[in-house]
Amino acid sequence: MLEIKDLICGYDSKFFLKDINLRIEAGELVGIIGPNGSGKTTLLRAITRVLKPKKGTILFEKKDIWQMGYKELAKRIAVVPQDFAGVGMSVEEFVLLGRIPHFERYQFLETKKDLEIAKRCMALTDTTKFKNQLIQELSGGERQLVVIARALTQEPMLLLLDEPTSHLDITHQVGILDLIKRLNKEFGLTVIMVLHELNLASEYCQRLVLINEGRIHKIGQPQEVLEYRIIEEVYKTLVVVEKNPISSKPYILIVPEEERQKERKNGTKRIDSNLYRRW
Amino acid sequence: MRRKIVLPVSLTIASLLGICAIAFYFLLKLPNNSARKVELSPCPQRIISLGPSITKGLYLLGVEDKLIANTIYCIEPPEAKKKEKIGTVIKINIEKIFNLKPDIVFATSLTDPKAKEKLKNLGIKVITFSTPRDFSSICEQFLELGKLVGKEKEARKIVKSAENKATSIKKKTENLNKPKVLVQVGAKPLFVATGRYFVNDYIEFAGGVNIAKEAGEGIYSREQVLKANPDIIIITTMGIVGEDEKRTWKKYKTLEAVKNGQIYIIDTDKITSPTPQSFVNTLEEFIHILHPEIK
Amino acid sequence: MRRKIIHWTICTLVLFCLLLGVTVFSLCVGSVDMSLEKILRVILEGKDTTEHSILFDIRLPRIILGFAVGGALSLAGVILQGMFRNPLVEPYTLGISGGAALGVCLNIVLGLNLVLGVFSIPFSGFLGAILVILVVYSLSMKRGILRIQGLLLTGVMISFIASSLIMLVMAISRVEDLHGIIFWIMGSLEEPNWFLIRVAVLVSILGLIISYLFCLSLNAFSLGEEQALHLGINIEGTKRLLFILASLLTGCSVSVAGIIGFIGLVVPHFVRMFVGGDHRILLISSFICGATFLIFCDTLARTIISPLELPVGVITGILGGSLFVYALSKKQVVLG
Repeated sequence: MLEIKDLICGYDSKFFLKDINLRIEAGELVGIIGPNGSGKTTLLRAITRVLKPKKGTILFEKKDIWQMGYKELAKRIAVVPQDFAGVGMSVEEFVLLGRIPHFERYQFLETKKDLEIAKRCMALTDTTKFKNQLIQELSGGERQLVVIARALTQEPMLLLLDEPTSHLDITHQVGILDLIKRLNKEFGLTVIMVLHELNLASEYCQRLVLINEGRIHKIGQPQEVLEYRIIEEVYKTLVVVEKNPISSKPYILIVPEEERQKERKNGTKRIDSNLYRRW
Repeated sequence: MRRKIVLPVSLTIASLLGICAIAFYFLLKLPNNSARKVELSPCPQRIISLGPSITKGLYLLGVEDKLIANTIYCIEPPEAKKKEKIGTVIKINIEKIFNLKPDIVFATSLTDPKAKEKLKNLGIKVITFSTPRDFSSICEQFLELGKLVGKEKEARKIVKSAENKATSIKKKTENLNKPKVLVQVGAKPLFVATGRYFVNDYIEFAGGVNIAKEAGEGIYSREQVLKANPDIIIITTMGIVGEDEKRTWKKYKTLEAVKNGQIYIIDTDKITSPTPQSFVNTLEEFIHILHPEIK
Repeated sequence: MRRKIIHWTICTLVLFCLLLGVTVFSLCVGSVDMSLEKILRVILEGKDTTEHSILFDIRLPRIILGFAVGGALSLAGVILQGMFRNPLVEPYTLGISGGAALGVCLNIVLGLNLVLGVFSIPFSGFLGAILVILVVYSLSMKRGILRIQGLLLTGVMISFIASSLIMLVMAISRVEDLHGIIFWIMGSLEEPNWFLIRVAVLVSILGLIISYLFCLSLNAFSLGEEQALHLGINIEGTKRLLFILASLLTGCSVSVAGIIGFIGLVVPHFVRMFVGGDHRILLISSFICGATFLIFCDTLARTIISPLELPVGVITGILGGSLFVYALSKKQVVLG
């Protein structure tokens, strides 16, 4: 569905992303992970046409996205952004904005069909109850749901999310990621999301793309990518990787400095780690 | 990149072309406009004055009964205050003027040009008198005013007598020594009467030298005043401001004017809005200041 | 949806009635008060009466110009505030008025208006405005991207430069010219020339129509540029077009009517409080509301201390400002 070929892309003079090659098939749920400033969001911005690549192409359904019309692209790719704007609108108005790419040239009002789709998307995300509230009155988690509802209203084939769970408590983190998973399973929506939280990425994504310093470091299933050697190399932190006893997905434990020193003093070799050995 | 500048550039070119076309249109229309105002009916019966000096002049010419309205600034002679008011010297009420159905409106260069244009469009004759630059243009304008209201003879008489007086004063002062004079018209910024303003003639006729004669439009620095060192300073701003200014000057102890206590305040009304007659009257006051020995 | 459409229709109708009411009020009052009945009689009967002239040659042109200028300025305000997502932006912050004022200043001081006629003044104003627009535009353009914040800062700086230049020109100009400049800066709806009035009306109505084509884009812009792009808006093209449109609207109003402040800032806010932030209704109701407001203010300006006439900017400032502060204290304002 999405194919990125030899992408070089960046802001102004700095080339941030180098030699990115990536293929994403329809129906996949892919997570992009990496340290801060590694270029995750930049990659997302390249896919959504905010940044023009210096070199390379991004093909969506075998068509270069820069050859597509603005609306054409917006009908296919929807984005749930990291920052939030849109103060002063009711939730319903906000969700209806997602229908803009589907409007005809001189159409100013929503049709019945538009309203129905918006209604369905709100029901799907369980936001119908906020319908008439102002957007700024909602809590962070509720807002995130509303933004997802808006993105769904665009009826996209590909949904991009930029850290959908940052600043949320675990109830909302799980709630939102469950919803995304469900959308992916039931409606066959292809999803690419940037995630900070490695454990969440591990639990929910079929495939992970680890980016470091503007290059793809590793692509693969969670158990392939989330290996302690790789994580320690990229994140430069000591970690312990265990298995979730229920889902049998890898999860990552951190070791504070104090414990590390204790461990070293006692001489017990309980941590099998590159970094540990080096110290 | 090249394509992206096409929009603004083409828009600019389009608007420039538009402006040229419109300007051209008005250029072609212009002669009509100026041709209209020449023909005059013999003797206007309903006159509106938009300037204090014009009002004064009309009273002087004895046509006050034909003056139907003036501005709130027209306070001389005192009877002029009782006339209908149509606004200030600069902002006038067109509707009211039109409703009074004047035969002629005398405007000054201070009147809003758009308002004048509007009155002309409404078919009202508007004559504009510009601010006089010297005594002779005061006389000229007065004669013109006299002609327009059908009192040419009277106007000539008044101008003649004023001119005679002025020449006799000039003769008297010709051979006296000439004190250096500064006439201050405004404070902050310091604004003085220069050679382009009729006030200059007060100084020269009264046998003085205007130190600011060549000072362009009138903004002047105190430094220059100290350098030129006038013997006499005349302040024409009224009330508190005048006293304030007097105090300010007194700080400069090296000035001749300060040493000899030669700083005077003259009522602004006497200096501005001149008629030939009031010019001569004010000139006599200047003589008192500059050459008190002449009686 | 139907409820929204009904709500919008009612809003528009109410505002329209208000506009009509103010227009009639403005026609009625003045140094010669006329009743509605008398106005009708004058319209039907007398072509050559004084009353007819007062109505159609003095009052009506002012009302029509007030409609055009008030509408255009508040429309430009809505567009710019929507585009910049900054509630403090108004047509004058971009330096357009400064440029126009400088153009007029130079015209008066160089005596061009004596050679080319009084009508050259609005054109030199327009020329100044266009020049400033181009400078601001090209300075904020970087690699094909119009940087919104840069635009704002450049605009503010240019307007400072322009006002300093104006002061320079005023300092070295003749006293008589000074008055001409001050008149123009004070702003007035008195315009002797019907042609200019027609141009102003045409421009403002065209502006309304064109901007309305972009109402959904403006709605999307309220989410931020990047998200607007995600919604399929050609943001660069839209920004450029809207900026030029708002500039032309402002330039045109300023060059005909001088600097009449406050409308472009206050009216959009005020309207937003009542009809909400949806540009589909905001554009049209701001236009009508701005027109109504300016006509009303001008009527007050010419009658309140008759026969003296106040500069209309005085009334728009005092009335608009105090109304706004009052509304602000009553209702929570929604910005953006």
